[in-house]
Amino acid sequence: MELINNDDDTWTLSKVSELEHLMLSRLPESADSTGCEEAGNRLFPSPISPEADLDNEKKSSADSDWKEYIEPELRVEFMDSLKIVADDLGKAQIAKDEEANCYEFNIPTAHADHWCSALNQARIVIHYRYDLPDEDGVLDMDPNPEKWMATLQSEIYGTLMEFLIKKVLWVA
Amino acid sequence: MLIEGSNVEIETSPVAEVEVLDQVTQPWQVMILNDPVNLMSFVTLILRRIFGYSEEKATDLMLEVHHEGSAIVWTGEREKAELYVQQLQTHQLYAVMEPID
Repeated sequence: MELINNDDDTWTLSKVSELEHLMLSRLPESADSTGCEEAGNRLFPSPISPEADLDNEKKSSADSDWKEYIEPELRVEFMDSLKIVADDLGKAQIAKDEEANCYEFNIPTAHADHWCSALNQARIVIHYRYDLPDEDGVLDMDPNPEKWMATLQSEIYGTLMEFLIKKVLWVA
Repeated sequence: MLIEGSNVEIETSPVAEVEVLDQVTQPWQVMILNDPVNLMSFVTLILRRIFGYSEEKATDLMLEVHHEGSAIVWTGEREKAELYVQQLQTHQLYAVMEPID
């Protein structure tokens, strides 16, 4: 993958291999935490520290207020980012490389934050759904092929996030 | 107790008044807890963006989260702490808050 600045407030993600394209096309569905309670709890945690010195009544009241007023806002923001990314991904084009078919698509600079949000949501859900190890960059040949693919998928998302953070979003 | 700017007088016991005053004035701290997924660069970026911290300070806090399991990133009144926790959670950081004794 390569991220190129087009100087018109867009970036082109080019040299996207078929495997990377396949993984990226799974991004919106991979970010769905339905059926994975741990991922849901991590994406929408209580606002109160587990160590907070608060009685149960106050903690419970803060939690229920958060669930009623804040969590729906978070859900809308997360969903908006996923829709924007799905739309960008839908515009991917096949670009003939010397050796194999590659894909490329544009990411408007204004969408970079949405991309990071979507990639991060998916990484969190994948981590808990497949019970991935906590260490970074662990890509052992797990005997479970689904888990191995999930690790690879998460690594690809992490790589693209690093590109976006360092090239697009980082301000010196 | 007479509410400021109002003629309404509410009868409260001294104990209740102290408790309400404590709740209003008690400072809260916003913390980020370590999680195995968020990229270090992403945590640093979000800390810089939300709190306006320098790259050096944001990096130090991110490393504290990474090595110590948590870091206090802001301290102040509850209402503002809630806003910061919401902003941090919008970026999927594992942000929580707690009152300071």
